[in-house]
Amino acid sequence: MTFYGFLFYVISAAVIGSTAIAITRRNMVHAVVYLVVSFFGTAMLFYLFGAPFLAALEVIIYAGAIMVLFLFVVMMIRVESPGEVMFPLSQWLPAALFGLIYLAVAVVMIFRTSGTQVPLSALTASPGQFALYVFEHHWFSIEVISTLLLLALVGALHLGLGRRKNRVEEEI
Amino acid sequence: MIVPFGHVLVVFGIIFGLGVFCAVVRRNLIMIVLGIEIMLNAASIAFVGAALRWQNLEGQTFVLFILAVAATEVSVGLAVIVYAFRQTGSFDPNNFNLLR
Amino acid sequence: MVGSGSDPAAIMILSLATMLPFVAFLVILIFTRKRPELSAGISIGAVAVSLVCSFVLLGLNLKMTVPVQYSVRMLASSGFDIPFGFLLDHLNVLMLVIVAVICFLVQVYSLGYMAGDPGFARYYAFMSLFAWAMLNLSVSPTILQLYIFWELVGLSSYLLIGFWYEKFSATQAGKKAFVMTRAGDVAFFIGFLILFLHTGNLNILDLNGQAASAISPAVLTLSALLIFGGIVGKSAQFPLLTWLPDAMEGPTPVSALLHSATMVAAGVYLFARLFPFFSMSQTAMSVFLAIGTVSMLLASTMAMVSRDIKKVWAFSTISQLGYMIMALGAGGYFAGFFHLTTHAGFKALLFLCSGVFIHRYGTNDVYELGRLGSRRMLVPTVSIVLAAAALSGFPPLSGYFSKEAIIGTLAQLPNPVWLVAGLAGVFLTAYYAFRMIFILLLPRPAQSSGKFGPPPEAATLSPAGGPAAPSAPGAVSHGSDHGEAGHESQYLAMALPLIILATITVVLGFFETPIKDFLEAGIMAGAPSEEGASAWSHGAALCLAAIGVALAWFEFGRRGAKQIGFVERMPLLYGLFAERWYIDRFYGLLVSRVIDKGISFLCYQNDNKVIDRSIDELCRTTVDGGRIVAFLQSGMIQYRLLVIFAVMVLLAVYFFFPII
Repeated sequence: MTFYGFLFYVISAAVIGSTAIAITRRNMVHAVVYLVVSFFGTAMLFYLFGAPFLAALEVIIYAGAIMVLFLFVVMMIRVESPGEVMFPLSQWLPAALFGLIYLAVAVVMIFRTSGTQVPLSALTASPGQFALYVFEHHWFSIEVISTLLLLALVGALHLGLGRRKNRVEEEI
Repeated sequence: MIVPFGHVLVVFGIIFGLGVFCAVVRRNLIMIVLGIEIMLNAASIAFVGAALRWQNLEGQTFVLFILAVAATEVSVGLAVIVYAFRQTGSFDPNNFNLLR
Repeated sequence: MVGSGSDPAAIMILSLATMLPFVAFLVILIFTRKRPELSAGISIGAVAVSLVCSFVLLGLNLKMTVPVQYSVRMLASSGFDIPFGFLLDHLNVLMLVIVAVICFLVQVYSLGYMAGDPGFARYYAFMSLFAWAMLNLSVSPTILQLYIFWELVGLSSYLLIGFWYEKFSATQAGKKAFVMTRAGDVAFFIGFLILFLHTGNLNILDLNGQAASAISPAVLTLSALLIFGGIVGKSAQFPLLTWLPDAMEGPTPVSALLHSATMVAAGVYLFARLFPFFSMSQTAMSVFLAIGTVSMLLASTMAMVSRDIKKVWAFSTISQLGYMIMALGAGGYFAGFFHLTTHAGFKALLFLCSGVFIHRYGTNDVYELGRLGSRRMLVPTVSIVLAAAALSGFPPLSGYFSKEAIIGTLAQLPNPVWLVAGLAGVFLTAYYAFRMIFILLLPRPAQSSGKFGPPPEAATLSPAGGPAAPSAPGAVSHGSDHGEAGHESQYLAMALPLIILATITVVLGFFETPIKDFLEAGIMAGAPSEEGASAWSHGAALCLAAIGVALAWFEFGRRGAKQIGFVERMPLLYGLFAERWYIDRFYGLLVSRVIDKGISFLCYQNDNKVIDRSIDELCRTTVDGGRIVAFLQSGMIQYRLLVIFAVMVLLAVYFFFPII
């Protein structure tokens, strides 16, 4: 076990742990915060796997923008009703069952294929190299992505501001 | 020499499973979206690991796109959830179970 | 055309005779409902024409050797055809004459009896309907046509019994009559259907001839028994005999016409008509003999204790019909039919005389009638004595000759029990007939009812003749309220038929031999001749009749007699006879337990639980199915996510299975 390997296991454990805790919180703010921790761990994993630019992007966009958006929504909406029913049996039993089956199958699959025994090498791609590659091969996709973001903006605006129009238009 | 690629895939599998669990089990619309985020995150890990395994930057590019799409989807999704909350006053998916 | 060529004159006369009453019926019903005298005139005119025509036909055909049949093909299909038309034969011509005479006389009588009744025109319309149906029944060439008119006769009986429809008991009686005869008719229908299936031919002449020898004896007996079921129903034999006493709810002329002389005689007529056919099966004939005997004895006992004058004559009718069937069953073709002829005469006379008394005094109870002074009216009194004597079989009246013929036939049977039964019947008949006469004509003052309590028929004593009952329709009441002038003309209209019938009763017996030759010329099967009948049976019959009269005199007629019969002194027998041997009770029980609670309950349950329920379940299943399918469309989204993921996992397992 090399040092990097050990690091990998520790960070993975942290990620998995915080995700697991996040999904079992009743208080949604707690859940979001734990998830932010999980995303930090993921960023570290990215850095370990030689994608520093992506690690930075993960923190800025995912943990920084998306999770903050979640926090805004959660904190702005006051829920008066008694809150959600935690883990109803009819839902978590099948989910756990299938999850375990899936995990078992996946593990078996992974360790039977020879291609997965290859150890990863410790390389890294600098941001410059990454950017060059992206804009050389996938510049069109970047444009499409930007249009997609525009769409998201328009959509969110429309749904959010819909209340100002007259009542008839609200009946969507 | 970090770890065999299979271990990365196992980690991915576990986190993905947790994401599915969150989306399916929690009786809260926001948690469903959160579960989707977890799943997307796990996928990113897998892609980056794969990029390292085959030493191809395609994987990392795709993670870029995943990030963008996740952002889009969260914003629109949360807008819809807020709208739905304003209509019915609760986040319980049970209230949204009749096709109208 | 079958038989001795087509005779257009005969055909025309026959059609006129049979169709004219139907025309009268339609005209009265449609046009002249509001004009009672005109309706009566039309009806009586039509029947008079029929009467004249029937006499002409009798004259024309006195020397007839072969039956004349005129028919057209009506129902034709591959393999068979059923003609409709007329058959003229010795038997038919005689029956035609009898029916026409009695119809005419009764309709004239009704001019007096029903005068003032608000349903006068309707009454004559139904009378015409009945005349049409009965005349056509007498001349039908095929059993199918006979059956059609049989049913029509039953219909007119129902209409006439329930003529005073405001009275609940009358409508009940009409319904009962119709249903009971209908039950017999079902058997009749099945019987001739079986015949039809086996022979393909319903022609009466053919059936009497060679067609019937082609079928197996078992089928012959079966169909004979079933056809006899119709006769049992129509002629009120055991066990379908309880409708006839109740049918006395109708007006007295109706009882005289339908329920003594003609309609109930239709059964006996059918028996005589199919006599060669029936006599091919000895088993059937024995059964018929037995049923006739039982009915005869049963009805005589019931007549012995009844207080209602019309009911006594009704029981007597059943009993005499039993006699006729006994005679025919024993092989005495002429005896049975001759008794039908004479019985038509004196029974109608009995009823019509009783009708005069009922009309005058407004009550049916014979004790009352006696006390009110019936014997003051000359013509009815004399006529009723004559008729009762004829009924009991005293010479030289017509009843004597016909009854002797029957006793002679019975004496020829190997088994003496039938003769004994016949002789017992003679005794009983004389007894109950003269009981009535003595109570009527030699009344005693009203006394305390003794130890037997009021008779069971007190409840039905509100005069079945209808006139003075408070619920009688219309404000016009019969009885003694009329002005003298109207009363006189009514009396004349009623008296004239009485005189004619009395004359017939006295005279008809002397025509026995010519009638016998005439009839037996027409029948192809050899009837056993009654020449060899031993003289002792004739003498015995006469003696027994005399003893019956003497007993009746002893108990009812002589001065100081208490007018309580010997049967009435035995409460057990009295109860049995008065309750009509509990046959009515049995039928009532049958209807209410088996039919009402049993069959209709089952049908009701079937309707509710099976039919309705199955439709409801079908709908509910559809709705529930829809709900299940709707579940696929709506429902919590997380379940569907779960399903998606589960399927993904399973697909993954499936696709990557070789690797595992």
